[in-house]
Amino acid sequence: MHDVQRRYVIPGDKIVEGNFRPLMNVIKAGNSLIATRIGIAETGRDGVKVIPLSGVYIPRVNDLVIGKIVDHSSLSWEVDINSCFSAHLPAQDVFGRDFSPARDDMGRHFAIGDMITARIMAFDRTRDPMLTVQDRDLGKIPRGEALKISATRVPRLIGKRGSMIQMIEQATQTRVLIGQNGIVVVTGRTPEGIKLAVRAIRMVEEEAHTANLTQRIKVLLGIPDVPPQQQDAPRDAVAGASKPEGATIDEVEEELEVEEEK
Amino acid sequence: MSSSKRSPIIVEHLRKQAMWDALSRGKRLDGRDFGDQRPLEIEIDVIKKANGSARVKLGDSEVIAGIKIETGEPFEGLESKGALIVTAEVLPTASPHVEPGPPDEEVVELARVVDRGVRESEMVDLDQLALVPGKIVYTIFVDCSVINADGNLFDATSYATVAAILSARLPIFEMQDSKVVDTGQTKDMPLRTIPVSITAIRIGDSVLIDPTAEEEACMDARITIDTTPEGFCAIQKGFAGSFTIDQLKKAAETARIKGEAVRAKLRELTGKNG
Amino acid sequence: MDELREVKITVGTVKNADGSAFIEFGKNKILAAVYGPREVHPKHMALPDRCVLRCRYHMSPFSTDTRKNPAPSRREVEISKVMREALEPALMLEDYPRAAIDVYVEVLQSDGGSRCAGIAAASVALADAGINMRDLVAACAAGKVDEKIVLDINDTEDKEGGADMPVAYLPRLDQVTLLQLDGNLSPEQFNECLDKAISGCKMVYEIQKKALMQKYFGNETEMKEETQ
Repeated sequence: MHDVQRRYVIPGDKIVEGNFRPLMNVIKAGNSLIATRIGIAETGRDGVKVIPLSGVYIPRVNDLVIGKIVDHSSLSWEVDINSCFSAHLPAQDVFGRDFSPARDDMGRHFAIGDMITARIMAFDRTRDPMLTVQDRDLGKIPRGEALKISATRVPRLIGKRGSMIQMIEQATQTRVLIGQNGIVVVTGRTPEGIKLAVRAIRMVEEEAHTANLTQRIKVLLGIPDVPPQQQDAPRDAVAGASKPEGATIDEVEEELEVEEEK
Repeated sequence: MSSSKRSPIIVEHLRKQAMWDALSRGKRLDGRDFGDQRPLEIEIDVIKKANGSARVKLGDSEVIAGIKIETGEPFEGLESKGALIVTAEVLPTASPHVEPGPPDEEVVELARVVDRGVRESEMVDLDQLALVPGKIVYTIFVDCSVINADGNLFDATSYATVAAILSARLPIFEMQDSKVVDTGQTKDMPLRTIPVSITAIRIGDSVLIDPTAEEEACMDARITIDTTPEGFCAIQKGFAGSFTIDQLKKAAETARIKGEAVRAKLRELTGKNG
Repeated sequence: MDELREVKITVGTVKNADGSAFIEFGKNKILAAVYGPREVHPKHMALPDRCVLRCRYHMSPFSTDTRKNPAPSRREVEISKVMREALEPALMLEDYPRAAIDVYVEVLQSDGGSRCAGIAAASVALADAGINMRDLVAACAAGKVDEKIVLDINDTEDKEGGADMPVAYLPRLDQVTLLQLDGNLSPEQFNECLDKAISGCKMVYEIQKKALMQKYFGNETEMKEETQ
């Protein structure tokens, strides 16, 4: 881990020269590795990658997302998942194989404006993302305050093994549902708690890449400065199950913290 | 032809419920009271190439107005008056729902309602703007570009228009050998008053001023009321919905009170009275 | 003669857009906003293997000396096209098949070289939107005034001048993506003019990079852990 080099980059910046493998958001030009996004470049043994700090959500199969029903046909609902493509939830996914548009009333399940948690079942370059709600804790979200953050900040909001979001939840007595697509829903006992949680989430979004973020969130939440007890409580279904492949800002922070401790 | 349509913005049920809960307590989602305007920033002389200009930020709605003063033929029936035209374009930069292209009926209504407030208040003394009555008059174009849209474009565009007019200098044109010559000199615009637009919407039984885009997506009806210090000069009820007589009278009173505050701000900024 | 007018770029000025930038280039005041990648409407316009880039260059009616009709002119239609073609080589459009990226450039106040300033702003807005890019697109014009080759000519010089040559350039890849010439140049003057425009592009590139770094990383140019 010690040989991982990090720096801030913008598109076109040369990150490093040499025989490195380009991983995400990096291209190779001759002997140089070039960033294609604004973000944090990491050069390690496996290769070079850029953890982006801006950009819309691009769907990936198995991601858990929070979406909004925006329309329906006789066979499926159209779901806005805050991405470059609308997703589709087939009526069959809800009603089963013998779904009949004539017999089954789709409006009984979801109406335009409803929010749902769903998993991306299929998505490739030839068709729009297909959703499923057939899993524990998926489906219509009955209550809560929804907000939108940049999808690039989701890993940071979750934190290493859920540390950041658990800290926010405990201090504000709330539950925070996080979709990989950057939609977040907060529920809680008191309006004040929800308000504070929303402020903390906004702060994580705006200052995701800066040093000592955890410390500043603690100040905002009024948490006394003692070493935190590592909780290994199971994460909320949406956030916990959706640990993305590859690098996350969360891991950067994890490594930063490891280094800080030394 | 005008046809009914669905709002391009679909507000989540969760959000709608939260809005209704807040409204039942006399509050709005952003913490405002029903009669509170969002923060209003007005900057004048932002476009040096224009004869007058202003940039207005009303919450997250942002509009630039620029004035070009030329000469031309008078309008039919108004041969001895200068011509004043307000246009508006909601730029495709303004929101993901705007398509580039000629203005649709919403944008035409926006421009005409703003135009009417300026025209009917007789803010600009157009009688002083005829060069050769019946033949050549001053033509004042106020063109408004909406850069970012977050609701209440009527008031944001109106304030930009009025501030741009207040900031404008009138080029002095002269007739020499029956040709118009720009002397290169300028003078004050002939101004009479300052009209101020206040827009309110109804959601259920609540009437609130200066709506955000999200509130507009939930509205039942809308009303824009232009006032001068003396009273009312232009009104437009909009959107397929209605108000009670009582709601209208209260909205009119609110428009006078809130309008006075905006007028004071415009006076202070431009040093113009009215 | 080899100096650029004052150039200032601010990133993220349009709240609703996915990416945006405001450029002041001499007296030019130009806004660029990017939406996307997003769904293509109408759907049949989508391309199966890459993203559709759409570009609009538009001048506000009050941006020019005499009022401009708000309807798009032939000049604006052409500039929209060459602008799109100048930006496309920098974008990794194959990363977003079937989607569209919209680039809207609005000239609020015009001066000479507005297309170059617009391209520079659009490129920064695209980076701000998080679109994968091989490089930023820098742009600058050079021209001929009184038989002398000068960098970055303004409006008055343009009207008097003998030639105007706008250039867009990918500095890291050393590729020219826009080149137009309006006026007469000798073979020697052409070489000199091109070299000068490229040197201007390199100056603009530095300003673009600085604006993005400032927006995203503030005054920290190095990561904390390395400076500690």
